Amino acid sequence: MTISKLLVANRGEIAARVVRTAKARGLATAVLRHVAEQEGPAHLIADEVVMIDGPTPVAAYLDIPQIVAAARKIGADAVHPGYGFLSENAGFVATLEATGVTFVGPTSETIDLMGDKVRARAFVEARGFPVAPSAIEDDDPASFVERARTLGYPLLIKPSAGGGGKGMRIVREDSTLETEIETARREGQRYFGDGRLFVERYIERPRHIEVQVMGDGQGNVVHFWERECSIQRRFQKIIEETPSPALSPEQRDEICETAAGIARAVNYRGAGTVEFIYAQDGAFYFLEMNTRLQVEHPVTEMVTGFDLVAEQLRIAAGEGLSAAQADIPQTGHSIELRICAEDATADFRPAIGDILLLDEPHGEGIRVDSGILDGGKVTTDFDPMLSKLIVHGPDRAQAIARARNAVQNYVILGVTTNTGYLDAILAHPDFASGDVSTGFLAEQADVLTAPGEDVSTLLMAAAALSDQRLVTDVMQIPEMHRKMGGWRN
Amino acid sequence: MRRIFMIAGHEAECWLTHDGSRFVLNMPDGAVPCQLVPAGAPGAYVLRTGGRAHELRLAVGPESTFIHLNGRTFEVGRVDPDDRLGGREGTAGGDRLLAPMPGVVVSVAVKPGDAVTEGQPLLVIESMKLETTLTAPRDGVVAEMPFTAGDSFGLKAVLAQLTPQEE
Repeated sequence: MTISKLLVANRGEIAARVVRTAKARGLATAVLRHVAEQEGPAHLIADEVVMIDGPTPVAAYLDIPQIVAAARKIGADAVHPGYGFLSENAGFVATLEATGVTFVGPTSETIDLMGDKVRARAFVEARGFPVAPSAIEDDDPASFVERARTLGYPLLIKPSAGGGGKGMRIVREDSTLETEIETARREGQRYFGDGRLFVERYIERPRHIEVQVMGDGQGNVVHFWERECSIQRRFQKIIEETPSPALSPEQRDEICETAAGIARAVNYRGAGTVEFIYAQDGAFYFLEMNTRLQVEHPVTEMVTGFDLVAEQLRIAAGEGLSAAQADIPQTGHSIELRICAEDATADFRPAIGDILLLDEPHGEGIRVDSGILDGGKVTTDFDPMLSKLIVHGPDRAQAIARARNAVQNYVILGVTTNTGYLDAILAHPDFASGDVSTGFLAEQADVLTAPGEDVSTLLMAAAALSDQRLVTDVMQIPEMHRKMGGWRN
Repeated sequence: MRRIFMIAGHEAECWLTHDGSRFVLNMPDGAVPCQLVPAGAPGAYVLRTGGRAHELRLAVGPESTFIHLNGRTFEVGRVDPDDRLGGREGTAGGDRLLAPMPGVVVSVAVKPGDAVTEGQPLLVIESMKLETTLTAPRDGVVAEMPFTAGDSFGLKAVLAQLTPQEE
């Protein structure tokens, strides 16, 4: 099953990134564009652009019949889904396969299994891999309290039907367990009309660590080491790095081998990521498996030297993995910053605007995967992520220094972005020491959004002198002001 | 000439003059001579103030001037002094409906010329995945509905305009 023409069923930076590798492998490439969508970098470099339509731009990218029809119309023999949109949609994969188009990714069965969080957790636990200790009331209501007690404190009680933190109770002492269970049950009943509960070990100040895996679908699986993704706002990552500053070499081998073992257990095909919750005491628990390429995959590419999209395309074409585990190094340190159009000082409100000036940083160890063009328009039609700035350095301190220098020199004018906020995170002493958890950004919100040095006089002077109407008006009346001798308080 | 700028949520007032040989920026707490010289690259300038030179990148947008200086990017809002004196925006019973945040128009319920009553839905917008119905702030006649369904709009964009009230 050779692949000669690839349709990328995605947009923005990831579409451009996939097209670049596909072209380097000699494939013909096509990308999608919604009729109301701005032209992006992918549209300039792909061989072909297929227009799609829908009630909203996002709906068009989720329209399986339309995208499958587009693939057939242009004669694409493979589809790369990128991330998001249809990348983890088993129905999309099944439809493509039924029409003889290769999906660059795992089988629909794997996507189905890992997409169901309860089934995935049970599958992983049944094969002896670590999941957070928990007790589900429905399994045996009579023994629920006893089973909860044996998990060990602190515990987190959650309504089975819950969500959004409602009805959740943290229990630290055995003496309060039974009264807290009754309180949680009443709250569950009140909020969700359902008093059933489950209890899991509460992980204090957790880190989010994930492992990149790659399988050929023939039983061979390798890992490409871990990524630390604890820097999150609104439950979404904005800075990722590898290696994780939290892991010892022994822990690193253990967590990476665990991830590879989970992938082997599903006879995984393609690129995937196994996510773990990592506790302060070094214990780690399976959270979920993402059956696609991740946004943050470039940091893995920077330290291993592998092109993960090239590996995906090799596997999809039946060529297998290009490397054995021993051939995959982890050299130096890499950090990714997600550049987003948002106002970090206003609860990360998405920003829109015209890109009036764009000047990306460049130099040794700097990579920019961008989805925007100078003169483009940023709208709320899609995710606020504009681009990714990825750096590599010989060690973590030098990678941080390089990242700060690069983000400070990333000029995007015309729309509010988070570049200053990202720089403030990199400058924080707790980030430098690696002492962070998934709650870091919320805990340090005041520090991270504090105004810097006051340069308002310079800003006013620059804004005034670049206002052509103002300058013209002022030049027409110098005589009067000379007579006034200037205006002062 | 007087100017009001909005920097990091605070209004700052200044007065630009020219004394025949150079520009002077006058502020409530002092005055500095200043000069902005193009430096070659797109939007690149050297700003000279009080004997010091600062390299910066600059782009003038419709309502704000964006400035990249010392590794940081700033948005300097330009407040038209005439607009502020008028004081029409955002006041109760005003003529304009301003976007509380950027978003997309989901549907528009009225058209220019329609008579509306206070509280009547004018349009539905979606921002940050939430739908919000915007209603008429007072009784009146619709003068302008600048957006149609599917259009994106920015923070403080005028979403609806009523004809001025006759006193």
